[in-house]
Amino acid sequence: MELVVALALNGLVWGLIIALIALGLSIIFGLLDIINLAHGDFFMVGTVLTWFVLEATGNYWLAFLIVPLVGLVLGALVERSVIQPIRGTAALSIVATFGLSIIIQEVVRAGFGAAPKRILPPIEGTIPLFGIEYDYYRIFAAGVSIVAIFGFFVFLHRTKLGTWMRAVRFDRDTALAMGVPARTVYMVTFALGFAMASLGGAVAAPITTVDFQTGVDVLPFCFMAVIIGGLGNLPGTVAAAVLLAVTEGIVTSFTDPTVARIVSLCLMSAVLLARPHGLFTGATR
Amino acid sequence: MKERINRTVLLVVLAFLVAAPWVLPAIGFDYWLDILAEIIIWSLFAASVNLLFGYVGLLSFGQALFFGMGMFGVAIGIAKLGLGFWPALGFGMTVAIGTAAVAGALAVRLTWHYFAIITVVFSLIFYFLALSAKPLTGGDDGTSFSMPAMLEAGGFELSLTDPTVQYFFILSVAAAAYFLKYLIVKSPFGMALMAVRENDVRASLIGLNVYFLRWITFVIAGGFAGLAGCLFALFGRYASATYMFYHVSGEGVVWTIIGGAGTLFGPAVGTALLIVVREELSNIWEHYPILVGLVVILTVIFAPKGLMGFWNALLDRLAPAPADRASGGGRPNGAVDAAAVPAERRTGP
Amino acid sequence: MNAPMLRIADLTKRFGGLVALDRVTLDFEPNILHAIIGPNGAGKTTLFNVISGMLKSDSGTVQFRGKDITGMAPHRISRLGMSRSLQIKSVFDSMTVAENLWIAAQARQGVMHPFASRSRFGRTTERVDGILEQIGLTGLRNSPAGTLSYGDVALLEIGIALATEPSLLLLDEPICGMGPAETAETVEKIRHLAEEVDLIIIEHDMPVVFDLADRITVMAQGGVLARGTPDEIARNAAVREAYLGDEEEEDDPDA
Repeated sequence: MELVVALALNGLVWGLIIALIALGLSIIFGLLDIINLAHGDFFMVGTVLTWFVLEATGNYWLAFLIVPLVGLVLGALVERSVIQPIRGTAALSIVATFGLSIIIQEVVRAGFGAAPKRILPPIEGTIPLFGIEYDYYRIFAAGVSIVAIFGFFVFLHRTKLGTWMRAVRFDRDTALAMGVPARTVYMVTFALGFAMASLGGAVAAPITTVDFQTGVDVLPFCFMAVIIGGLGNLPGTVAAAVLLAVTEGIVTSFTDPTVARIVSLCLMSAVLLARPHGLFTGATR
Repeated sequence: MKERINRTVLLVVLAFLVAAPWVLPAIGFDYWLDILAEIIIWSLFAASVNLLFGYVGLLSFGQALFFGMGMFGVAIGIAKLGLGFWPALGFGMTVAIGTAAVAGALAVRLTWHYFAIITVVFSLIFYFLALSAKPLTGGDDGTSFSMPAMLEAGGFELSLTDPTVQYFFILSVAAAAYFLKYLIVKSPFGMALMAVRENDVRASLIGLNVYFLRWITFVIAGGFAGLAGCLFALFGRYASATYMFYHVSGEGVVWTIIGGAGTLFGPAVGTALLIVVREELSNIWEHYPILVGLVVILTVIFAPKGLMGFWNALLDRLAPAPADRASGGGRPNGAVDAAAVPAERRTGP
Repeated sequence: MNAPMLRIADLTKRFGGLVALDRVTLDFEPNILHAIIGPNGAGKTTLFNVISGMLKSDSGTVQFRGKDITGMAPHRISRLGMSRSLQIKSVFDSMTVAENLWIAAQARQGVMHPFASRSRFGRTTERVDGILEQIGLTGLRNSPAGTLSYGDVALLEIGIALATEPSLLLLDEPICGMGPAETAETVEKIRHLAEEVDLIIIEHDMPVVFDLADRITVMAQGGVLARGTPDEIARNAAVREAYLGDEEEEDDPDA
């Protein structure tokens, strides 16, 4: 029973981090029609940047600040150089971002090395929770993710840029006709997506390993959250990410992780086939 | 004019492929025969992606599943079931096509993003199954086997252990498969597939069974990927779950789109280019994938219809075709237009 | 009097809370040209969508030449000889005009030969030539359909529908978006068509409707408001009230 609780909690924490990453994936898709196969690598870049910041300064907290900022800049650069020329053609975006993914992974392998490394959490210790001793840091990580997700929604609904983004996503042509500066919105969207994924990486770095290949494992998970939550349904994405991760966590406590993965993938196919427009949409709009 | 140039190029390439076992050693490129064989096998895999994406408009990120099924079918058939060469090949194909028939019946109920995602999910399920079924598949380490003879008659034995025999076996199987693809694409059935790709609602209104056409194409494409997997298993004498991962599927998609989706030979061109780039650069620079990634991105930006689309546009400019072309003939460049930018905004609730 | 070729009984279709078709019961007799008119959101296109199998009704039945086709897939209905054009014109863009017609004519055969070359199907090719002549697009036979003008696309749509050798043709706003000259031409073509196949058209252009139709059905708010000859409809008080000069384009609720 204790194992179930621990793994369910792990799933919850992991699901919140995934939600943070998947939100970026979802807005990039919703606004730019870009199917971003490099999104997992944006996360991985976050973990690696965290490692470098820690190496350079020894201060973990600084990483939480620097990593998303670097992500923002990198995202803007990538948008201008790779995404801008092919926007609106989803099939090409798959290929271009696949190329991007190859480049990112190889650059990291060249600069950081091929060997996975571990980062110690900045907060040690455990606290009693639901009858088990649970890691402080994981609770903290969940907290950071929640705050970031919340902040993202506030940004989307309370700022001018956020309103523009929602307008473009809701009805691109009308928004553009009304003078929303499309290029800025696209760049900010992509940059924000990168920043959120890399913040996810900074948060997750002590929980997972720092390795140039982690993005490959994270990516399908994010896509599942986006699809199961319903394309364009941002709160749905968050809910789906948490649901998926908790389910997998609980199943893992009964069997080995690979089987748990298979079970969650089967559930996922069932959802896709039965409710292709997401778990949380009404019958018909 | 354009037709003639293309036919000439095709004949030259074919002549080279047939002469390769003698030409390559003569110019000191012995080991390139194996690379050539590998290119031929993977171009079959890309052809599988192309059949679905280029001709019926479904972007599959799960073709590695059927590649893996063919691979494990052959390897397990020989190593575990003690099958001979041909029965093992038949077993691999049966497993791959059977899986495609079942997976396809479910997957083609969805289109576009949803289809792409469910193919990833299916292939991941089988990837993890293959990993966990270690006694059967050998998991990550894979299953290896020793090559049974293709043909034994009296004292005469024909086996893939002879590199030249192996090369010609792979070449002739692939050529037959490509010829089959050619026939399919040029037939009324192929035209029906393009109609579905262009406009599935309209296609159903003129009496085409869209679901069936997508399903049967999925099965045929599964057969192509399976055949590539069977050949690759025979070529490498082993099978491994790593080849079932979605990254392998992704490579097939990249090869196809780089080469030119919706064209007969585009996928082969894309495969050849990227594998040659890989082989050439990996000796020179350890981090050559950075350049591969750059090639991919630049091609997509500057030749969005793929290299074949670029080539055909070039020929059109250099040697303009007469204004009135024969109707009903193959016009691969027209097909690329749509394949590179499919009508994808038709989804939505 | 002939037996109805198309019988619609108690047909209901809801979109969420909106009732698009409310227990519609209609019989369409053969050999006369039917038109359906009605203000925006009256349910005209939804009716076509349900008849042609693109939408499933919530209740009610559709019978086509004595056969129950309720809930049947669109391709099966098409093979029974019912063909339709779409309100938002759509053809196979990257294929040539001739190829568009060719595949439509071949689709009617049901079986798609997977290996034979297309040139072997002489009868289909002949039929394509005939239709090209009929819709007046012979000169554009080798142009990609995506490059046609709007009016030509509309004609091609009719051609595609014809190529399937229908006995009933449903046309959804066939002249929408055409200029006066094109309209006059197309109206003549439709009049000729009506001699060969049964026709039901949805149209907003009242002069055209009253010129062409033998029988008019007026729909409003998902129900049938009135039916009759053009003269009867012109005199109908309820119809005048429902229209009040409203000539706007209808939005397709399920495009």
